[in-house]
Amino acid sequence: MSRHDFLLEIRTEEIPAGALTGARTDLLRRTVEALADEGLVPEASQSFATPRRLILWLRGLPERQEDRSSEVVGPSATAAFDAQNNPTKAAEGFARAQKVEVSELVVIDSPRGRVVAARRTIPGRPSEDVLAEVVPRVLGGLSFPKTMRWGRGENVFVRPVRGVLALFAGRVVPLQVFGVAATDTTVGHRILADGSLPVTGAEDFLAKLRAAGVEPDGEVRRLTILESSRAMAQEVGGSIETDADLVATLADLVEWPGTVRGSFSPEFLDIPEEITTTAMRVHQKYLPVRGPAGLLPHFVAIMDNDQDRKGLIAKGNEWVLNARLGDARFFYETDIRQPLDSRLEDLARLTFQDRLGDYRQKTGRLQDLAETIAHVVGRPDLVEPVLSAARLSKVDLTTLMVKEFTDLQGVVGGIYARREGYSDSVWRAIYDQYRPSSSSDDPPREAAGAVLSLADRFDTLVGLFTVGLIPTGSRDPYGLRRAAFGIVSIATSRRWRLDWRPVVRKAISLYPHASGGDGEKGEKIVSDLEGFFAERMKTLLERRGHAHDEIAAVLNVGIWDFADAADRAQALSQARRETDFRTLVLAFKRIRNIVGTDDHGAPRQDLYRESAESQLAADFAQARQALEELTRSRRYGEAMGMIASIAPSLDRFFVEVLVNAPEEDLRRNRLALLAAIQKEFSHLADFSEIVVEK
Amino acid sequence: MLTLQKLITELTAFWEGEGCLIEQPYDLSMGAGTMHPATFLKVLGPDPWRCAYVQPSRRPADGRYGENPFRLLKHLQLQVVLKPSPPDVQEMYLRSLERLGVVLKEHDVRFEEDNWESPTLGAWGVGWQVLMDGMEITQFTYFQQAGGIDLSPITAEITYGLERIAMFLNKLHSVFDVPWSADTTYGQVRHRDEVELSKYVFEVADASLATLLFDRSEAEARRALAAGLVLPAYEATLVCSHQFNLLDARGAVSATDRVGLIRRVRDLACACARAFVARSEGAVSPAGTRSSAPPAAAEGTAPAQPQPAAAS
Repeated sequence: MSRHDFLLEIRTEEIPAGALTGARTDLLRRTVEALADEGLVPEASQSFATPRRLILWLRGLPERQEDRSSEVVGPSATAAFDAQNNPTKAAEGFARAQKVEVSELVVIDSPRGRVVAARRTIPGRPSEDVLAEVVPRVLGGLSFPKTMRWGRGENVFVRPVRGVLALFAGRVVPLQVFGVAATDTTVGHRILADGSLPVTGAEDFLAKLRAAGVEPDGEVRRLTILESSRAMAQEVGGSIETDADLVATLADLVEWPGTVRGSFSPEFLDIPEEITTTAMRVHQKYLPVRGPAGLLPHFVAIMDNDQDRKGLIAKGNEWVLNARLGDARFFYETDIRQPLDSRLEDLARLTFQDRLGDYRQKTGRLQDLAETIAHVVGRPDLVEPVLSAARLSKVDLTTLMVKEFTDLQGVVGGIYARREGYSDSVWRAIYDQYRPSSSSDDPPREAAGAVLSLADRFDTLVGLFTVGLIPTGSRDPYGLRRAAFGIVSIATSRRWRLDWRPVVRKAISLYPHASGGDGEKGEKIVSDLEGFFAERMKTLLERRGHAHDEIAAVLNVGIWDFADAADRAQALSQARRETDFRTLVLAFKRIRNIVGTDDHGAPRQDLYRESAESQLAADFAQARQALEELTRSRRYGEAMGMIASIAPSLDRFFVEVLVNAPEEDLRRNRLALLAAIQKEFSHLADFSEIVVEK
Repeated sequence: MLTLQKLITELTAFWEGEGCLIEQPYDLSMGAGTMHPATFLKVLGPDPWRCAYVQPSRRPADGRYGENPFRLLKHLQLQVVLKPSPPDVQEMYLRSLERLGVVLKEHDVRFEEDNWESPTLGAWGVGWQVLMDGMEITQFTYFQQAGGIDLSPITAEITYGLERIAMFLNKLHSVFDVPWSADTTYGQVRHRDEVELSKYVFEVADASLATLLFDRSEAEARRALAAGLVLPAYEATLVCSHQFNLLDARGAVSATDRVGLIRRVRDLACACARAFVARSEGAVSPAGTRSSAPPAAAEGTAPAQPQPAAAS
């Protein structure tokens, strides 16, 4: 069967940059899946996206579906034909219903005996018809972070659809997308090109787009931006900071990626650099230019244009940035006239959360909690800096700078505290308190910052859990998953022995509405949080490359201490590489099946009969003693080895000893011995979770 | 040189040419052109509507005593609403820039995602900020909901920040240097206003009067609604909104009060919107040909709406 290319272009008003990649990949995947369901599989497929179009190119799609034969089973043969082998009314009715002649009915064997059946050949449909059905359905089913309606309000999509091109074998596919009928024409760049362009096929289409100021391939746009901005930075003796996320976003904001370099007034280099670069990167999406000795008064901006014909684009961007930096300097100079200390009272006017009071109250809790954490992690030396940092941690929320540069909360407080002469550990703690801000961000640089960050996250988590605002599904408006992940990641990266339960109980006690009573509510929060933390711990261990069975083995025995859990996982994955775990694991799985979780009491020495039994008991007693010491000193690798060392005697026990002895007392004693081994050797990990080949 | 008044004349003439009715600024204080009944009420219901007007917008918290070159307590917006949103609405907008003498090929014009939400109006929309050479010159919004009501058809709203555009096109470093006319600057016309209004809202305004006006206007809006009078109710709602902004700028709103006050304004705005829709549905004549609907239709619907609990 001959094959042809299918080309689809959905032209829209500007799709948000953040939605573009998802739209492009979903459109491709879902169309290919939907066509596969119809028996149509292309030889190759690819998709492109610009802010104003989604493009799909399926190469070598069959011209039509294969014919299919269908068989519909009808009445039994005896009911369908009489003694003279003539068709009955039943056969005639069935044939009529199936739209076949009675003479075409066949008799076949079926699970319910011999029956008549109607066989039909269903001719394959032309691919064009299938595409006309599939494409609108796929587009209607694409999901976006936010959708909208337009015009008469009948359709829902990420942005209004303004044009559709759909060609199969060079002919227009008669389809409609959101009320827009497909044609064989496209349009070029909004400003650089005029009029509509007739298209004959995919290659012709891509070439015409490029000639009309549209680069369809996002990766090409990204590389163009990267190369030309590097070159522009080099011309002024500087370089572009690697900011992969920003460059990727920029590539999805334009159809024709051009760059311009601009400068700002060098006097603004006196403003703290974090502020200047945030104004550039976050507010204006410019790439800052850095020289050997620091930031240069230049930037690179993108434009959706091939050239800056009259220099107006560079000039305009410079004007905007200078205005922004002028504003920033005004905020800075105004802010520093009011010392941080004197801002504490103003925090009472800022709500932390409707039901959880204001930031003045939060500040008080943070001080108490930070002190507790410093003690729990065994660093009483941190109490002093952490108390100062906690006290001032939220006052930057009252500054003009943070109101304008919200991303810089914490950082601004840190910069201002540094200016006011607070010690390094204090200002850095304030500066770093929101780190890690994402799963790829680093934790706070110093210990005091880590304590403050932990205190803030515990307070937020506990507070919101006490008022029932626990994240569900994909909704997590308060960023609680991120907060919990931050806790897990700080504790493990610092390897702090942090039993989080007393910290959580302390945090609960600091909320007047949640404390008091019999503490039942508090324990409910502790157990809710345990599951919540376990999920984050699992993520962290996965990122560290641990196998799922190792993670399950470690999480099964509790995660009161994240750093400890991470160490146990580490020891486990090392131990299983070095030692023969197979015998041990199989033995533990067997024990779990035999003894379950019942309490079997302590085994009695006088009831051992077999030598394999006595030997196991002796080995167990010995290993147990060594294990206690190794566990206490957290030498988990050796501990795992010690546990594995009883595998041979366990194996021998199962070969030589009949656990299910006819004598009741012997049977009970044997179960008790196994149960004791399971209990004592499962503090570090639940070995029965480990996956081994049988 | 593009003067502010020329900017207004050109944009107004342009949109008049696109079939817009040229409305006048509303004679009440409001924070944005969206609050003008020609937008907030007219986006509701099925009737087509094309309208443009300039609306002075007051944002007390943005007052800077005339010392900040970019910020104004009172600025001018040119608002365009097109319902239903036409398929070539972006091209229309770009032509309006050309009308101002902008040669598009010499600039970088981009539509970047920027969605809009007004908690006090129970309204939200999806759209962009329009950037020219890195400067935000226009807010472009497809209204999805207003007064808590899902809209259909959808209105496209285009809001030009007039001072910004004038400043930017003339590459001036202070709004007060913008030429209002050929021989008069923005500063000469407005600077004194900024100084006095800022001093008033931050230092002089009587917060208890604002609270009183808020409370009484809220009650008045309810009374007007009960009498089937949508526009007077909405005007009283606008008073509440402005008094809230004043209180907020004065620092007289605690964080907890804030949520409650916003909710009270929103409840009124939503009640007005429902009453407006009910009135239009009950009206016999086409929209615009009668000044009010038969009282019976309005009275029959407005009081039937659940009354929000009085705020404590």
